[in-house]
Amino acid sequence: MTAPPETTSAAPAKASSRGRRLATAALRHPAVVPIGAVVLALLIGAVIILAAGLDPITAYTAVIQNSLDPGQLDYTFSVWAFICGMALAAAIPLRMGEFNLGGNGQLVLGGLTATVIASSLPLPSIVLIPLAVIGAAIVAGAFGAISAPLATRFGIPIIISTLLLSPVAVAVVSYLVRFPLGEAGSAVAQTTRLPEGARMWALGDLSYSNAGLIIIVLLMVVFWVVDSRTAVGFELRVVGANRRFGAYGGVRVGRLALGAMAAAGAAAGVVGAVIVMSSPFRLIDGALISPGYTFAGLAAALLAGGRPALIPVTAILFTILQVGGAGMERSADVPRQLSDVLQGVVIVVLALRTVLDQRRTERSSA
Amino acid sequence: MVSRASDDAADAARPPAPAEGEAAVELIGIGKRFGSVVANDGVDLVLRRGTVHAVMGENGAGKSTLMSMLFGLLEPDSGEIRVEGRPVRFAGPLDAIAAGLGMVHQHFRLFDTMSVADNVVYGAEPRRRGLFGKAFVDRRAADARVRELAARYGLDTDPAAVVGSLSAGARQRVEILKALHRDARILILDEPTAVLTPSEVDSLFAVIRRAADAGTTVVLVTHKIHEVLAVSDEVTVLRDGRVTGRFATRDASAAELVRAMTGRAIAEVKNPGTGTPGETVLEVEGLSVSDGRRTVVSDVSLSVRRGEIVGIAGVSGNGQHELVAAVLGTLGVAAGRVRLAGADVTGASVRDRRARGLAVIPEDRRGEGSAVTMTVAENAALGHHRSAPIGASTGIRRGWMSLKAERSQARELIADYDVRTSGEQQLIGSLSGGNAQKVVVARELAHQAPLLIAEQPTQGVDVGAIGAIHGRLLDYRAAGNGILLVSHEISELLALADRVLVMYGGAIVASFTAAEATTERIGAAMAGAAAADPTEASDAAPDPAAPDLTAPDPTAPRSTAPHPTAPHDGDRA
Repeated sequence: MTAPPETTSAAPAKASSRGRRLATAALRHPAVVPIGAVVLALLIGAVIILAAGLDPITAYTAVIQNSLDPGQLDYTFSVWAFICGMALAAAIPLRMGEFNLGGNGQLVLGGLTATVIASSLPLPSIVLIPLAVIGAAIVAGAFGAISAPLATRFGIPIIISTLLLSPVAVAVVSYLVRFPLGEAGSAVAQTTRLPEGARMWALGDLSYSNAGLIIIVLLMVVFWVVDSRTAVGFELRVVGANRRFGAYGGVRVGRLALGAMAAAGAAAGVVGAVIVMSSPFRLIDGALISPGYTFAGLAAALLAGGRPALIPVTAILFTILQVGGAGMERSADVPRQLSDVLQGVVIVVLALRTVLDQRRTERSSA
Repeated sequence: MVSRASDDAADAARPPAPAEGEAAVELIGIGKRFGSVVANDGVDLVLRRGTVHAVMGENGAGKSTLMSMLFGLLEPDSGEIRVEGRPVRFAGPLDAIAAGLGMVHQHFRLFDTMSVADNVVYGAEPRRRGLFGKAFVDRRAADARVRELAARYGLDTDPAAVVGSLSAGARQRVEILKALHRDARILILDEPTAVLTPSEVDSLFAVIRRAADAGTTVVLVTHKIHEVLAVSDEVTVLRDGRVTGRFATRDASAAELVRAMTGRAIAEVKNPGTGTPGETVLEVEGLSVSDGRRTVVSDVSLSVRRGEIVGIAGVSGNGQHELVAAVLGTLGVAAGRVRLAGADVTGASVRDRRARGLAVIPEDRRGEGSAVTMTVAENAALGHHRSAPIGASTGIRRGWMSLKAERSQARELIADYDVRTSGEQQLIGSLSGGNAQKVVVARELAHQAPLLIAEQPTQGVDVGAIGAIHGRLLDYRAAGNGILLVSHEISELLALADRVLVMYGGAIVASFTAAEATTERIGAAMAGAAAADPTEASDAAPDPAAPDLTAPDPTAPRSTAPHPTAPHDGDRA
C-alpha cells in the first residue's frame, strides 16, 4: 500500500502503455505458453548439463543429429507413431477436461490381449492380425472405461482412478508374463515369439516401421474428424469448455465420459498390440512401459492442448527428445534421463499455465 | 475543467459545469480500448465531494470499464485521473484504497465462513500487543469498530454473525462497512440493487444519503432509471464509451435519461392479455428439492399452459433457481412430479426433457448458459447440433455436423437479434453481457419448444436489449407457447406475465392474476407476506420505466398503443 506515484507528463506514459499493450497482446497469444515451456525446459536442461561440467551445445546437437539421422529415421518414425498413439489416449479425455493417467495399464493390457490372440488362434494373418489389434482395443478400452462409472456413480475423479488402476493392470500382466504365459526355460520374463503369421506386416524392408504405425496414424485422422465434424466431438469440446453448459444443453456427460475413456483405452491398447507384434515379436515384461511412450504422449497431448491437429507436431518434439536422448548419452556423455527431466519441466510449466488461467478467469468474471 | 465530449446529444442536455474546488475525483479525457473495441473514449467525469453521482448507461456502454480504471483494476490508455486535486496513477486496487477509494462490487467478495467483523477488518486489522508483538488481531477492537461504523452510517449489522448466513442485503452492508473501515472517502457502488428486495433498496438508499451528507462521495453505477432519480444528485450517462448526457438530477426526467442512454425513447412492451390459454405444457406437483442440508424448494405445485406467461417473483435465493433446475433435470428432486406436455419426466435426462419440448434461458449466463472460451457460432449450436440443418437426427448424416450450416445459422441469428460482434467466430466471452444474452435467448427461442423457462432473461442487460427481449417473449407467447418467467424485477413481471406466483423460502406464498398484481402486493409477498410492512412496500414502488413515453420504438417487434392495458390488440396474430 504505497502512495500512488505522481504522473509526470502524458506523452511518455502513453508510449509506455502502448508498448505494454503490445507486450500483453503478444504474451496472450495461445502459442506463447507452449513454446515458452519448451524453451524454458531446454534452458533448464542446459543449466543441468553445465552444472555437470559438460557442454550443452554439444549435447543438444547430438540429440538433433541422432534423432534425425537418415539411417535412424525408420526407428524415429516408429517412436513418433507410438508417442502419437499414447498422446491420443491422453488427448481424447483431455478434450472434455478429463485426465487419463492410466495409459500404462491400458497399454500392457492391449499388448497382453494381442499376444494371447496372436499366439493361440491358428488363423491366416489377414484375419489374425486385425483380430489381435481389435481384441487389444476392446480389452484395453473396457479397462479404460471402468473409470467413467467410477466418476459418475461414485464421484472418484478419473485422474485418480486411472492413476491407481494402472499399476494393478501392469502388475497382473507382469505376473502372467513371468508365470503362466512365460517362455519355459528363458531367463527373461517374456512370452514365446509370435508365429510368423501373427507378425505385423512390414513396410518394404524397413525394420521398425510397419503397418501398425499406419493404423495409429489413421486413428489420429479419425480423432481429428470426430473432433471437428461430429456431434460427439462437439459435445466433447463443449463439456471441456464448460461442463455445466454441456449438462444444461442436454449432453449426457456420463455417457460421453464412458465413450471417451473407452476410446482412450482402445488407442493405448492398439499401441500395445502393435508393439508386441513388431520385432522382437513377443511380450517382454516391462518392455512396453520402459520406453516412456505413455508420459511422452501425455506431455505431447498437454502441449497440444488436446487439439488433434497439433498432436503430430508436439509428438515430434518428444520423439526427438526420446530418440536423441540415447544418442546424447553416447556422444556427449549426458545421461539420457535428462530427456525425462526436460519432459517433466514442460509438464510443470503447462500445469502452471492451467492454474494461472483459472485464476485469471476467476478474476475477470468476478 | 474543459468538457471534451463531442456527442451532439450531450451538448443539448449538458447542465452548467459543476462548481470548481469541490471535486473529489476528476477523470479527464479517459480512453480505453480492448483490441478493436473502444470501451471508453475521452470520458470526462467530475465527482463532487459529498454528492451522490450516478453513472448510468446500457450494458457495454463502458461504465464498468470506467469504474475499473478509477479503482485501479485497469489502466487507462489515455487521460488523467485526479483524486482530491492530485494526479494519480494506480498500479492496483490497493493504491486506490490508499488514495481513499472504496468499491462494492456487484458480486460480493467476502469470506462466507468468517464473521462480519473479521470480513470488515480483513487486510487492515486492529492489532493487539501480546506475547508475539502485535501478531494478533484485536477482535474486541474489530467488533467495536464495526459497531461504531454501523451506528454512524445506519448500517444495521451484527459484527459476530457469520457472513454465510446473511441475506444479500446484509452482505452488501458488510461490503460497504469494509470500504468505510478503510476510510474510503469515495465509495463506488456497482449495480448495488441487483440482489436486494424493495425494502432493502430503501435502506441502502438511506445509507447512501447519510454517507453523502457526512461528506463521502458516492458513485452509483446502475442502469435503473428510478434509482438514479430517487437517490442521486448528479447523473452522467454513457453510451458506446462516450458521455452522452450530464444532468443535475432535480432537472432530469426519466425520458431524457432514457434518450441519452439509448439514443431513442423506448416504448414499454406490454402483454396485451389477449387469447385463451391452451393445453397444459408444464405441470409441477408437490415438488420438493433438497440441497443436501435443507429443503430449498418445498411442495411447489404450478402449471403453465400454451399461450400464457406465468411469472415467478421472488428475491433471488428463495428457491426459484432450484425449481428451474429440477424442471430442466440438472437437479434431482426429493419429492413430487414434473410433467411436460402430459408425460411424466421426473426421472428423465435433460436431453429427453428438451426433446419433449423444453427450452431454458438460464440465470447464470457465463456459468451455465454459455462456454465463454467458445465462439458465438458454437455457443449458438448447442442443442441444435443433432438436428437439421446443423446436424441430422436420422439418415446417413446422423451424428455429423455441418460447420457451414453452424456458421450461417449463427450469422442469421446475429443479424436477426442485432448482436454486436465482429463475427460469428468471435468468442462469446468477449461480448458484452447484453449481446451474449441475445445469443442465449436466440438459441433457446429457436427450438420453438412449447415450454420456455426464462430465468432472469434481462438481468444485466441494457434498456434497448430489454425491450427487444421482452418483445421476443411476447411473440413467443402469441405463437401459442407457454413461458415460465422467473424474475426479481417486479416491473418485468407486471409487463409480461398473465399470472404471477411469488416464491419465498422455497414455497409459493402468493398468486396473482395480471389484474390483481401490483408492485405493492408482489413486493410485500416477496419480502415474506406475514412480515411485510405494507407502507414499506408501497414506498418501493416507483414505476421503473419511463411512464410518459409514447414514441414508438422501431426495433421492438411489438410496440403497444398508448393504453397498454387495452383489452383488444389488433396486431396480435
